[in-house]
Amino acid sequence: MSSPIGAGSPISARGPISAGSPILEARGLVKSYDEGRVEALRGVDVRIDAGEYVAISGPSGSGKSTLLHLLGGLDTASEGQVFYKGSELGKAVDLDSYRSRQVGFIFQAFYLLPTLRAVENVQVAMLAVHEKANHRAERAVALLEEMGLEARMNHFPNQLSAGERQRVAIARALANGPAILLADEPTGNLDSVNSAHIMEILRGIREQRGMTMIVVTHENEIAHAAPRHIRIRDGKIES
Amino acid sequence: MASQLSFTGFAWRNLWRRRLRTLLTLVGITMGIGAFVALVGFSRAFEHEWLRMYTSSGIDIAVVQSNLLSSSIDESLSAKISAVPDVAEVAPMIFNLIDLTPEVNALVYGWRANSYELDSLTILSGRRFHDGAPEILLGDLLASSLGKKPGDIVPILGTNFTVTGIYHGGTALEAGAVIMPLDQMQIVAGMEGKVTAFHVKLRPLPAGETQDEYVKRVSAALESMLPNARAVPAAERAANNQLVGLAHSVAWGTSAIALLIGILGIANTMAMSVFERTREIGILRALGWKGRHVILLVLTEATALGFAGGLLGIGVGWGALRLLSTLPQTASIVSASVSPLHLLESLLIAIASGLLAGAYPAWRGARLSPVEALRYE
Repeated sequence: MSSPIGAGSPISARGPISAGSPILEARGLVKSYDEGRVEALRGVDVRIDAGEYVAISGPSGSGKSTLLHLLGGLDTASEGQVFYKGSELGKAVDLDSYRSRQVGFIFQAFYLLPTLRAVENVQVAMLAVHEKANHRAERAVALLEEMGLEARMNHFPNQLSAGERQRVAIARALANGPAILLADEPTGNLDSVNSAHIMEILRGIREQRGMTMIVVTHENEIAHAAPRHIRIRDGKIES
Repeated sequence: MASQLSFTGFAWRNLWRRRLRTLLTLVGITMGIGAFVALVGFSRAFEHEWLRMYTSSGIDIAVVQSNLLSSSIDESLSAKISAVPDVAEVAPMIFNLIDLTPEVNALVYGWRANSYELDSLTILSGRRFHDGAPEILLGDLLASSLGKKPGDIVPILGTNFTVTGIYHGGTALEAGAVIMPLDQMQIVAGMEGKVTAFHVKLRPLPAGETQDEYVKRVSAALESMLPNARAVPAAERAANNQLVGLAHSVAWGTSAIALLIGILGIANTMAMSVFERTREIGILRALGWKGRHVILLVLTEATALGFAGGLLGIGVGWGALRLLSTLPQTASIVSASVSPLHLLESLLIAIASGLLAGAYPAWRGARLSPVEALRYE
């Protein structure tokens, strides 16, 4: 399937990305809550190369989602740093701009806005990057067509099935042409058929666009399918 | 055809999702702006009518009591004022707002029969009154609402007055008023030997002096001659007489309370809206929306409420003024005309109210941590 919105589109990731060079690097990440009484991450070091497909798994409360949030600039570490292409997030790289242009998030609960139609849910991500209105709409339509949702564009989230909602969320994550796709339990709310379909879509996107993809999952089948599998337990990387 | 999402379209969807709450908020701000348009519009029109009346009568200066505790001044000062070389004519007068019937109240003026102020009125039927007689002139608007004509009797504060004529004046204050002899007014008002003010008409403007300089110079001369009196230029007197001052105070006070209620309504709606949308704001932040985008969204919603409430309020306020200008109880003092500047001012106040009310909720929304907001249940 050809992609109208590829990595070479006008709002794709800035700067050169060559496979094998580090796109994300975490050094000594610590994340604590309740004034240090609870530690979700206890000194995590990880390097992710451009174009890599990495699965992160671990039991509930192991810190895998926290690590994803820190890598995606959704949260800041209590200690340690995250570097995007060698520049530190939150210092050399503005977190809001990083989230809007360099990363795309996919969540277990889809997190679509209930008052917006599918095509508008995709456009809402582009409102932050000052694209022209007609360009936003064209791009959203192209992405939803790519997701096989051409007949569901004007439906509201409550009129879509769970699988369709997640496909809208994937289209939204791709809206600004990010370099990295971060998925937090993307199949957690789906049945096995839809899970397989969503993972197939994600694999296709990565291969066609050469994107870096990090998937947090507790499903072994998904974790083992990734070329690289990071296991995390009690806030530390096991392997 | 796929719909295009704009920033304002997104704000509109957010407002429309809670239709009842949005409509109730609109009612609140509409009432606030409606009250402002009607009351402040009325008080300004009232002031404007006074100014027009002074101008059409040729009044240049009003001499009034300088003591704030007293609103009357000795009639005997009339001779002293007349003796000032620049003074052409002096008209001692009394005015008051009096209930003529339980439904109709009107401005009642007490003038001397030879007052130059009568010259600006057109007698439509009958004749002028005589000093010392219980006679009155009725403005055409008032005569019409009372159903009176020359020869009819109108009781005022327990005394029966004969209508001697119907006149037409250029302002609502004159068209809806009663004019009676000054001595009769002093009796019914219990002000024997006293007047409310002396209306002074100056001689023609001397060469080498502007009208403003002329009025100020004569005013200063009058004040130095009359230690307990104030000489006020007519324009200033129009803005500061007791009735106009009272109208301004009531209008601004009532409007401020109504506007405050409207602002609190918007603030409450926006605070509730931001609270309910905590997770959605987290989603927007996760998508890269900056704090200022969230502020802009919330302020757009609040301003839209203010703007819509402002437009509706202007309609309501204008409608109220038109209604008041036709009612017999208020027709003599209410003009239906509202200046475009007042309407623009009302709309700007409505928009500013929205911005003010939305400021805190917007700031709160922008400060939400994306990850905390996403976790919010």
